[in-house]
Amino acid sequence: MDKEKKKKLLELFGSKLDRPMRYYLDTCTRCGFCNEACFAYASVPKAEYTPSWRAEILRKIYKRHFTIGGRLFPSLVEGLELSDETMDLLYKAAYSCTGCRRCMMYCPFGIDTQAIQSIAKLLLIGNEKEPEVLSMLADASIEKGKSLDLFKDSFMEGIKRLENQIITKWKGESHEIIPIDREGANLLYVALAGAHSIVPAASIFNAAKENWTLSFFEAVNFGAFVGDPTKTQLIAKRIIDEAIRLKVKEVIICECGTAFRVMRHLIGEQPFRVSHILEVITRYINEGKIELQKDRANGIMTYHDPCQAARNGGIIEEPRYVLQHLTSHFKEMTPSREYNWCCGGGGGLVALDDETEEFREETGKTKANQIKETGATIVATACENCHTQLKFLGEKYNLGAKIEFLTNLVANSLVLH
Amino acid sequence: MTEEIKVDKTMDLKGLPCPQPVIKVSKGIKEIAVGQVLEAVTTDPGSLSDFPAWARTSGNEILKTDQDSDVIRFLIKRVK
Repeated sequence: MDKEKKKKLLELFGSKLDRPMRYYLDTCTRCGFCNEACFAYASVPKAEYTPSWRAEILRKIYKRHFTIGGRLFPSLVEGLELSDETMDLLYKAAYSCTGCRRCMMYCPFGIDTQAIQSIAKLLLIGNEKEPEVLSMLADASIEKGKSLDLFKDSFMEGIKRLENQIITKWKGESHEIIPIDREGANLLYVALAGAHSIVPAASIFNAAKENWTLSFFEAVNFGAFVGDPTKTQLIAKRIIDEAIRLKVKEVIICECGTAFRVMRHLIGEQPFRVSHILEVITRYINEGKIELQKDRANGIMTYHDPCQAARNGGIIEEPRYVLQHLTSHFKEMTPSREYNWCCGGGGGLVALDDETEEFREETGKTKANQIKETGATIVATACENCHTQLKFLGEKYNLGAKIEFLTNLVANSLVLH
Repeated sequence: MTEEIKVDKTMDLKGLPCPQPVIKVSKGIKEIAVGQVLEAVTTDPGSLSDFPAWARTSGNEILKTDQDSDVIRFLIKRVK
């Protein structure tokens, strides 16, 4: 690694060293509680699948380059020189962690290992060694914000073609089944461009006679997956600008954990509220705006808490409230809620597709066993990444359970008055 | 009279949800030579915005987009 590159990367590292980050890096007693909490280590007990191994690489670089002892006597502090070899280790660390933060729940000092890994991701971007696919998807998302007029008409035409599917679920009538670009709507729904994310939600909004509108943009934030703070903000800004332009009161994020966490917790104060689609469905049930027929879906049902929506986003009671109205045969996984095991698909790993398949299969064993123990034939969840990973695990571990989006189960259970 | 575009490679991406189609296409286009044309067939309406945005950022060119019932067909020329 040449001097200039090293200097640039150390500056990037330094830019992340605020007081909490220094605390995370300085404070670790190597108790090992975090190791037992990691889904990867629980599935495959290898040292490099532990949160402490992943964090230790960054700690050693920090000690070597950002402490007086390390600068003067690197070998005494067990410091690690920033080099090409170190960058390879950082890639291994950053992309074997889904950022689920279960380890943080068990750390006696509350060390945020995901925050520590965000340094690794930033250095990889600075070294142009981040996963190309994630940067490509982030750039394409930003481009959509810049050139909306280019695809607006064809997108609207494509969305129009979904309307028959919505009528089948909702069985209602309206002059506008999927409103787009409606100024003054109460809700702006931000979906995942695909039909599976639009059709169920549209059916529910229409059944509740909601004044809503669909966003032109997809909710998912690939800037957050790749760990690029600037791109994360630019991708979120497309939605913020659209919400402000349409003067909506509330922005509703679809079943995508990272998108929800970014919009609810990381974009700061805005002139609109940000809610998860399950919060809205809970509200509709409470207010009698929609009615659901219980047990329309047969069989034992369990729920997988997406890490970013539940542990890191606070959406824990709402899915359970909705499930009470959907099934008499609900069975919790053990553990669940904020202590739920990660499925292994987050942090952009699912989007990396075949590159991470082996890792996702072997480290998904804990989650697969957890599902098997419930005896469930339906696994509901509320996150695209989790849904894709759980389907993958279902095939690899012969789970014999159908993986369903909770919103889709709600749409399929709507009662028409 | 429209000129027929010669297709060098076809990718059937029907049934794949976003962003899988654009991920597959970004890999698939590297398997054809510069100047050749990739045909991508999808069913996901998200690809109607994903593909043009990806083409602009990756420097490739979408020659044609057809929507027929639920199927969307893109012809993409590798430029870079």
